[in-house]
Amino acid sequence: MQISLRYKDKGTVIHRLNPFAKLAWVGSVTLLAVIFEHPLFLLLLFLATLPVVILARAWREWVSLIRFVIYMSLVIVIINSLVMYHGTHVLLEFTFEIPTLGNPKITLEAICFGLGMSLRLLAIVSAFTVLNFTVHPDDLMLAMIKLKLPYKSVLAMSMSTRFIPTLAGDLERITDVQRARGLEMDKGRLRQKLKSRGAVLIPLLANSLDRTVQVAEAMESRAFGALKKRTYHREIRLGTYDLVTVCAAISPFFFGLYLRYLGYGGYRYYPSLQKIDPGQTGWLFLAALAVLLLLILPLAWRRRRYILD
Amino acid sequence: MRRGCFFLILIMSLGTFIYLAPLYFKGSLLDPNAGVLNWGLVATIFVSLTILGFFFEFERAAAGAKEIALVSMLGTISALSRLPFAAMMNFQPCTFFIICSGYVFGPVAGFMVACLTALISNLFLGHGPWTPYQMFIWGLVGITAAWLRKLPLSKSTAVVALAAFGFLWGWLYGIIINVWFWTYFVYPLTLKTYLLTLLNAVIWDATHALANVFFVGIFGARVIATMERFKKRFYWSIERDGVK
Repeated sequence: MQISLRYKDKGTVIHRLNPFAKLAWVGSVTLLAVIFEHPLFLLLLFLATLPVVILARAWREWVSLIRFVIYMSLVIVIINSLVMYHGTHVLLEFTFEIPTLGNPKITLEAICFGLGMSLRLLAIVSAFTVLNFTVHPDDLMLAMIKLKLPYKSVLAMSMSTRFIPTLAGDLERITDVQRARGLEMDKGRLRQKLKSRGAVLIPLLANSLDRTVQVAEAMESRAFGALKKRTYHREIRLGTYDLVTVCAAISPFFFGLYLRYLGYGGYRYYPSLQKIDPGQTGWLFLAALAVLLLLILPLAWRRRRYILD
Repeated sequence: MRRGCFFLILIMSLGTFIYLAPLYFKGSLLDPNAGVLNWGLVATIFVSLTILGFFFEFERAAAGAKEIALVSMLGTISALSRLPFAAMMNFQPCTFFIICSGYVFGPVAGFMVACLTALISNLFLGHGPWTPYQMFIWGLVGITAAWLRKLPLSKSTAVVALAAFGFLWGWLYGIIINVWFWTYFVYPLTLKTYLLTLLNAVIWDATHALANVFFVGIFGARVIATMERFKKRFYWSIERDGVK
């Protein structure tokens, strides 16, 4: 069974960056994308993810996700334009009635709103690309433990990631054994094929459940749960420099919240589109937000040099 | 048990309230179309806190290494079973595994297997704002599957009941998970826009419901029997009238 994680260690500055900083940055971009409505602010959030994706050399994977975003964007535009008639610029008016929708009017404002929301989706998916392709699952688990999430749940997640290769190996072994016994798994119709997979699934399940006891016994023999405070074989060290990076990664979120409080980042689509120019102060704030969003890059670069030195 | 029930009722009431508020509190502060509250964020925070609440419940309920190892293993099997079916429009067996886990090992195990399914399979398929929703809904599948245990069902009727249960949850899954898409990207939040959002995913939900029936029908009895056998071999509890 060929399986591969989305994470690939490409050794870039983004891969080497502290996982907390990446989590904080992705969280910031996602939350800002949800609270901002202004297309320029949403565009900035999306554009800010691009240099990070490029530096992480996850460009190809990012492009493959765009197909999904385009489809969803189409849905967003269609739904919004079919139900919102408050716009003043009517582009198309249906002459026939659609059940429950009446005579929909497609307005420019509704299409623009749909495009704005597509930009929001694009920014969110693009930000999560960074998380999916550059944070190792183990680091994600360690970060969860550090964040004081319930320990046993995080341990269960960590063990699950550990079981993946074991189970994949077991699956291959049991499939070979059943084939050697004459089971033809690729013959017949889909229903027959799936049914014959049962000859692999049930032994795999029984074997895995037996393995569960072995693992539990191994844990208990090493005094699992004997002490309330546990120790770690591998730790994510959060030094001063990392703390600075985390603060830098989270700063756009607080700045964005402040901007929302000041009244920036909102946008009126209906009844007619508001002027897109945010004004001189608005542009200044946009530039400041861009600097804060990209601050993570020089910090990541400097960290690598710091480690090399 | 009482505390667990209270917690669950609280979550369900709050969830139903958040779900219905956009439709009934027009013009008030709770109206998401009034622009005061971002309903997407409200729903995501609610879902995340609920998951956290259940993690704390697992912390209390999982007495030892055996329980942790069990849910990890079942979670991995369930997550891996999702991967080969990724391109088949939600025709996948992981909901079936979650149903069986909840039915045999109880609500907390069912919920944890569900959470692990979403977390682990998304390491391969991609995490996003949808991950907490998937954990939450599959978690509810695991919890409610455990409720079926209380019904007086024979082995054969149990499979039929689980298949019907799976069919229902296939649709409910779509009805709940589309909330994230609806609240984040669609305006205004009305019943009409919600139904249109559901309409967009109707094929995914239909295949999901059919897949649940299909997998429960073909593998349900055997998978449950295997899990029951394991449960009998490795778990014991003291009852009032003797040892079980």
